[in-house]
Amino acid sequence: MTTGRDGATLAEFRATVRDWCRREVPTDWRGAQTGVGDDEYVAFQQEWFQRLRGAGYAVPHWPAAWGGGLSSAEQVILYQELAAADAPRLVLAFVSIHHAAATLLAAGTDEQRRRHLPAILDGEIWVQGFSEPEAGSDLASLRTTARRDGDAFVVNGQKLWASGAVHADWCLLLARTDPAAPKRRGISYFLMDMRSPGVEVRPIRNAVGESHFCEIFLNDVRVPRSALVGAENAGWQVAQATLATERGMTMVELAERLGNAGFRRLVEVCRTPSASGRRPIDDARVRDRLAGFDTEITGLRALCAGLVARHDTGTVGPADASVVKLYYSELLQRLTDFGVEIAGLAAHTELTKPISSGWEAGAWVLDFIGSWEWTIPGGTSEIQRTIIAERGLGLPREPVKA
Amino acid sequence: MIDFTEGADLAELHDELRAVARDLLGTAAGGAPAVKEATPVDWEQLAAVGWLGLEVPEELGGAGASLAEAAVVLTELGRAAARSSYLGTAVLGVGALLALEPSAGRDELLRAAATGAPRFAVGLATGDDEDIPFHLRADGRGGFTLRGEARFVPDLAEAERLLLLARDPDGQPVVVLTEPGRPGLDVVDVPVLDATRSLGDVSAAGAGAVVSADQVARFRGDPWAAARGLRDRGVLATACDSLGAAEAMLDATVAYARVREQFGRPIGSFQAVQHACADLFVAVSVGRELVAAAARACAAGDQDAGRAVAMAKSYVGGAAVEIAGKAMQLHGGIGYTWEAGIHVYLKRCVLGRALFGTPAAHRARLAERFAGPRRG
Repeated sequence: MTTGRDGATLAEFRATVRDWCRREVPTDWRGAQTGVGDDEYVAFQQEWFQRLRGAGYAVPHWPAAWGGGLSSAEQVILYQELAAADAPRLVLAFVSIHHAAATLLAAGTDEQRRRHLPAILDGEIWVQGFSEPEAGSDLASLRTTARRDGDAFVVNGQKLWASGAVHADWCLLLARTDPAAPKRRGISYFLMDMRSPGVEVRPIRNAVGESHFCEIFLNDVRVPRSALVGAENAGWQVAQATLATERGMTMVELAERLGNAGFRRLVEVCRTPSASGRRPIDDARVRDRLAGFDTEITGLRALCAGLVARHDTGTVGPADASVVKLYYSELLQRLTDFGVEIAGLAAHTELTKPISSGWEAGAWVLDFIGSWEWTIPGGTSEIQRTIIAERGLGLPREPVKA
Repeated sequence: MIDFTEGADLAELHDELRAVARDLLGTAAGGAPAVKEATPVDWEQLAAVGWLGLEVPEELGGAGASLAEAAVVLTELGRAAARSSYLGTAVLGVGALLALEPSAGRDELLRAAATGAPRFAVGLATGDDEDIPFHLRADGRGGFTLRGEARFVPDLAEAERLLLLARDPDGQPVVVLTEPGRPGLDVVDVPVLDATRSLGDVSAAGAGAVVSADQVARFRGDPWAAARGLRDRGVLATACDSLGAAEAMLDATVAYARVREQFGRPIGSFQAVQHACADLFVAVSVGRELVAAAARACAAGDQDAGRAVAMAKSYVGGAAVEIAGKAMQLHGGIGYTWEAGIHVYLKRCVLGRALFGTPAAHRARLAERFAGPRRG
């Protein structure tokens, strides 16, 4: 914990947040945000972000000097209360406030921080340009090149799965600056202006029919040297350091979302009588599954709390974040699958869900299909298991061909 | 002996207790199971290191610690697949005595429990059925007749004192203090496949057993809450035991997968084995959190402790069987041998899953609050 609030003041803090949520969380935003166009979604997200910012709740994990400064205990309370109030999630600003900020704070120059952190607070949107068509789980094999040309780099290549790229102002870009070096030693990390000439974004429609992730084509894009983060060819190390910071509090938020509205909706659908008046919950097998999910969500929350506590004490184990990510994603998938099963054919008539929601909107089929957004990106479940086995348990590495 | 005085850092104390336990139980190095047959832990030594009196107040010769500390010991006993009367005496026996109205007699028994003599067994429900197993009828001469039966009572055969959970003539839960060999009381050892456990049946059938008024002890406060709390202890204790056994099986499997070679490389470098081990690690991690939360809730006497122990027991009870089973599988042919000792853990985990309520029974209890108002 960064501040030493005692139990009494934490209780006061919770009361303050709860009160704020009661006043400020838009009513019926789920209804209003279902099926809206892109412009309306962006406007809604930006407005909600500014409302949170006004209360000091938009970037609670940032240092106080940059507009954050809540302790871990307070952040946990904040996410619990936002989840309990079923507030919209910060979907559009997610990469900006987490990945971009973590990168700037950990490895950026003072000038880069001053240029971007206040701008992020004003609504600057970032996208992550890491993955490529031939570099998915094997990210370090990325082929996008950045060639030195005087005081700039010239970037060529293609990025994939860039969530929110159509709305992005800036990009966290990984590109190869030394093709001769071993693959993890020749990558550099850049901040790239998405309005640079040569940047072309094409949305890709995903399995639920949305188009928030995109391809980015980079044709002779000039990026100034001042946009390098960390040393040239040390980009992989910067990315590794900042990817780790993404887990922890973001997992607390997701666990709370699942444990509040997500689980409530599941119980509701189990209590809803069919045409014949039969309620799924009157079936012992259904109650058994519900109790199992309740238990697993309790376990997930405790795992997240443990991860946050170890972040604070600097004792995070090498596989701790992987355990949480793997467990959350597969629990989400099993839980939404069960929702689909219980809700029956009627669930298939829910053709859209609100975009500012999490992955448990209660549109069960879409939620279930959307759950692969958790088991695939950010290191697939298979990659997480390998990390847990090799780094967590110290099992011998699988032989790799150079 | 470790100091459990207030204000000390509990996490550090638990680490210390754990380290002492692993030294004493022979699981300090690597954690691979050395167990091939059930070998009893030296009872006097358990008393000497202060484990039997962990929860006994300091003024009665104990350590004045809580169930959270006993939970550490229970987990380590599970990790070692140790055979001991710790559950019957130090967890259930001491727990029952602590829940009674204070009296000189009670304090004397607590003091004795900390020394390890006599050993106790508590006659309570240990299956899915949570009913109070005995009942008392007034015999019209100022005493009572005891009838009923408690099956699968932990550490019964070794016990010199019995604490039987009974309903008094008004239907209120009380504890009957008695001994094996009393007229009308039958104590039978029940051999089970898990040779590391001692279970037995105690019954008072037919004409029943005669009980004098001074053998009947009342609970302090709400007797129903106390009876539930006692059962919760058993549930938590079994969850701890299964967690420890699961940890041992994970450690043993990882250690084996590092050194066992097939196809010219350690089997632990094959993804099929790696991913199986990763899943076991996740399950152990989740189980550890749920057990820790349940132990804290019980030690603090939380209103919600019953829910926390039901979650811990249902999750870990099921997971431990899967983990021990997977350990046998990943050890290959050698894992199926008697010599390897995996069977000791698998049997202990399978028994632990059933003892003090199956996962399904606990989930049924957990689900009660979801049902909501019934229609019609």
